[in-house]
Amino acid sequence: MVTMQPAYDGLPATDLVGQPLDWAWLRGARSEWGVRPKPGPRGLTMMDIAVGSYGDVAEHPAHRSMAPRGADVDPGTPDMGYILNAKSDVWADNVRELYEEAVARQWSATRDIPWGELPDLGDDLEHAICQLCTTLSEVEMIAADLPAKWMWRMNHDFLEAKMFLCTQIMDEARHTEVFRKRALANGGGLLKSRAGDESLLRTILQAKTYVQASALMHLLGEGFILDIFRQGELIAPSEVEKRMFRMAMQDEARHVAYGTLHLRYAIEHDADTAEEIHEALDHGEEVLVAFGTNQDLSTAIAVLLAGGVEHVEDKGFPMQAEMTRKLLASYLARCERAGLSRLSRTKLDLDLLGIDRDTGVIRS
Amino acid sequence: MNTADTSVTVDRVAFFTALAAEMNGHPERYEPLGDVDVEIALVIREGGDALRVRLLFQGIRCEHAAEIGDGDEFTADCFLDGDVGAWQAMVDNIRANGRAEGEYTLNSLTLVGDRIAIKGEDPLGVDRFFRFNQTLQTFFDGAALLPATS
Repeated sequence: MVTMQPAYDGLPATDLVGQPLDWAWLRGARSEWGVRPKPGPRGLTMMDIAVGSYGDVAEHPAHRSMAPRGADVDPGTPDMGYILNAKSDVWADNVRELYEEAVARQWSATRDIPWGELPDLGDDLEHAICQLCTTLSEVEMIAADLPAKWMWRMNHDFLEAKMFLCTQIMDEARHTEVFRKRALANGGGLLKSRAGDESLLRTILQAKTYVQASALMHLLGEGFILDIFRQGELIAPSEVEKRMFRMAMQDEARHVAYGTLHLRYAIEHDADTAEEIHEALDHGEEVLVAFGTNQDLSTAIAVLLAGGVEHVEDKGFPMQAEMTRKLLASYLARCERAGLSRLSRTKLDLDLLGIDRDTGVIRS
Repeated sequence: MNTADTSVTVDRVAFFTALAAEMNGHPERYEPLGDVDVEIALVIREGGDALRVRLLFQGIRCEHAAEIGDGDEFTADCFLDGDVGAWQAMVDNIRANGRAEGEYTLNSLTLVGDRIAIKGEDPLGVDRFFRFNQTLQTFFDGAALLPATS
């Protein structure tokens, strides 16, 4: 909607030192002047201001500049070198909602974890929680590094997606912080980091396209870590770890929700993308299995599940197997939701895991 | 720490309306956790029967807690489905400890075994259970504060 505005006659043509003045912004820049979004009960959200043309996100934006979407953009605005210029490259239909949610549900690893309630634990449990936190502290920052690598290449018209990824970066900084703090807080410290752990991270970071990177990170990697956080909440020796894993779980689930609908949007708008994603996940699943079964992470979790080393074999490992089944069933369900059925393609041994290859459901 | 008090029973809608009132009466507990948008159904099975309840959370309030019919749970974002014994054990643990501990948290109950299962038609709806988990746990931990007649 373009509305006529007053002419503002009589304004000076030059400033005090004689420089010419341009009053175009005042005299009718093409805009939706008069559009007035209404705040809801929570305030003025990104959904509230997605009104009129401001809410329209072009599939292929006309500009490649940092001009705000909806502004009256000067034709001479320079190209910023963006390479992700199709909406399907980055968009997800839930991204505005997720951004608002992320902002509303930020938390502090310093203030919101009841560090004062940390009890003395048995030596085996303290070692196990420290090892788990060491590994998590190592892997969490990948989900900050990766969006940071791609964001400056994303067309600025997709600002809501970029804003959401900014919240993800902050989330991952906080996760790195909270797991590092927990490793140190009870007198244990940081334990083993092995070369093998880096393979998964390198695979994600070096993905050739953003859609492949998003599949590897949001759907596969963060889906996996979401379930590790769920397990962490279960096996938490105290309210400190309960709260820590629960808060991190909330953040991680947002990232997974973005990835699921981003991939769906990408596939719906370009069917060929599906094969590109499949290829990334073929390799990614292989690397993830190697990571998930690495001797440090898996045995630390098994010890925590067993309540100590004594019952690791008869309790820890069987519980871990049950949870691995649930983890992979959740991953396969999210792939289906993304429009990317992995059931007939995955090299994961679904039969061994007790997952029905036709439905993705755990066999009872 | 309270002593275990099983006189707060989970098999009545009144229990959930009391939890909703507890949440809505204490925004200071929920404000730091942030806004929520989720509709969750609960299925509490006893023998061949089941109590089904829908909880609608918006902002920092539980706007709706009411009984629903058989099958209506599938219209929620997700639903938690378990035997009344598992539900009651959770509430008893909350009342004994002031909050759910160990394997009696919502997340834990849905992760181990088949005591209470998290289900839903849409994986993204199920993921809302995780996105808002701390708020949901705080909501159920409100059972520790209900009078014994609830």
